[in-house]
Amino acid sequence: MKTIAKDVMKTNFKTLSPDSPISEALDIFKRSKKDGKTIFGIMVTDQDGAIAGMISMYDILLFLLPKHVKIWGNISDIEIEGIIDRTADKLKNFLVGDIMTPKVISVTPDTHLMMILDIMIKKHVRRLPVVSSGKPVGMVYISDLFNHLLERV
Amino acid sequence: MGKDTLTGLKVSHAMRKQVIVLEPGDTIDCCIQYLIKYKINALLIGNDGETPLGVVSKSDIMGAWYAGLPLSTPIEMIMNSPPLFCGSDDTLDSALDTMKTNNIYRLYALEKNSNSVVGALAYPDIVGLLYHYCSQCDQGIFNKTKEISNDRIKRYKVHEIMTKKVESCKEDASLESVVEILSGSRFGAILVSDDQNYPKGVISKTDITLCFRHGQDLSVPAGTIMSTPVASCFEKDPVESAIKTMILKDLHRLFVIPKENKSVSGVLSLTDAARLRSGSCHACITSRIRVDKS
Repeated sequence: MKTIAKDVMKTNFKTLSPDSPISEALDIFKRSKKDGKTIFGIMVTDQDGAIAGMISMYDILLFLLPKHVKIWGNISDIEIEGIIDRTADKLKNFLVGDIMTPKVISVTPDTHLMMILDIMIKKHVRRLPVVSSGKPVGMVYISDLFNHLLERV
Repeated sequence: MGKDTLTGLKVSHAMRKQVIVLEPGDTIDCCIQYLIKYKINALLIGNDGETPLGVVSKSDIMGAWYAGLPLSTPIEMIMNSPPLFCGSDDTLDSALDTMKTNNIYRLYALEKNSNSVVGALAYPDIVGLLYHYCSQCDQGIFNKTKEISNDRIKRYKVHEIMTKKVESCKEDASLESVVEILSGSRFGAILVSDDQNYPKGVISKTDITLCFRHGQDLSVPAGTIMSTPVASCFEKDPVESAIKTMILKDLHRLFVIPKENKSVSGVLSLTDAARLRSGSCHACITSRIRVDKS
């Protein structure tokens, strides 16, 4: 049975630069859906190829979320299109590096699958970059872990 | 002391429960990322599980850029220490008094009988709570069924609480001079205007921290980095309507003009609105009791 990260990690992954416009990240997310392999997070690497962060759909949605959202439930006459248009306009001034998550938990190719499962559960993450000598070599997704570990059940 | 809309309300009613804490060794670059990501003006510095050590705000980051510090500088070098706290059970009135006395814009709320930080309280959070009541109140201008012209309630107008002084610069002013003006004042943004004093754009501390992160030079002209258009309201607008605009558009301030095609006469920020300790009127002192029960 496969027991370590490199046994289950996906090696076909996209990366972005911290200086990429956010529209580039949006394009990758949209294209992945069209290709039938929806991805939810993209690794961000610096000029040396080292992992600098991760940008996820969550990061972009967080940017979309208004600051005073807790009182919005009381307001009925809101046009959500207007909010999205305004956010899209604001997004033009921001780069991937501005809204990505800079502190990324990663594993190495030799990390045991149970250790990966433990991290995913404790830290509430669904994907973990696999890093070797500071550079990303793969990504382990919770769905792959689930499918692999429960194959025998 | 007189009764106001906030009388009897506690910090826990208005505070944000999400508190972002960074480590002292994290860099200014990382700090800017979190400020942008969570749309906040300051964050707490602390070691895991220990009493927080300090606070870093966008003003501190602006100062660091002006002083020539690199983005890789650890934030402990620029943090303000110690942070100021209030109790989550304290009244909002006492928290506002503490903020005013200490000339600060936020307090961190501690759990009762403990040193755990359970929330952050800033002026916009208090305005959010006030607006919550206004939006549900039968006397609120957006819910009033009767004609507003027959309205006997005294409603605050923007010009009554706006700050009349507005810091401004011309489009060709350097970013460095903008930073100098903002550092020497209590304003969070500067108006960029043309020779006729007509508003052209705005540069906020958020814009400046973003420029720092993007490796811009302090010598670039203000006109190249300003945000447009200038969000504005009229002097005679009800405060409630201006607050609604700020909340829905995620703005911290509106520049005030007397009437169309006139130059700016003042600025209304969420801080001004919070200091009023009321929405557009005081009707909710009584109606709030009903709102709270619902």
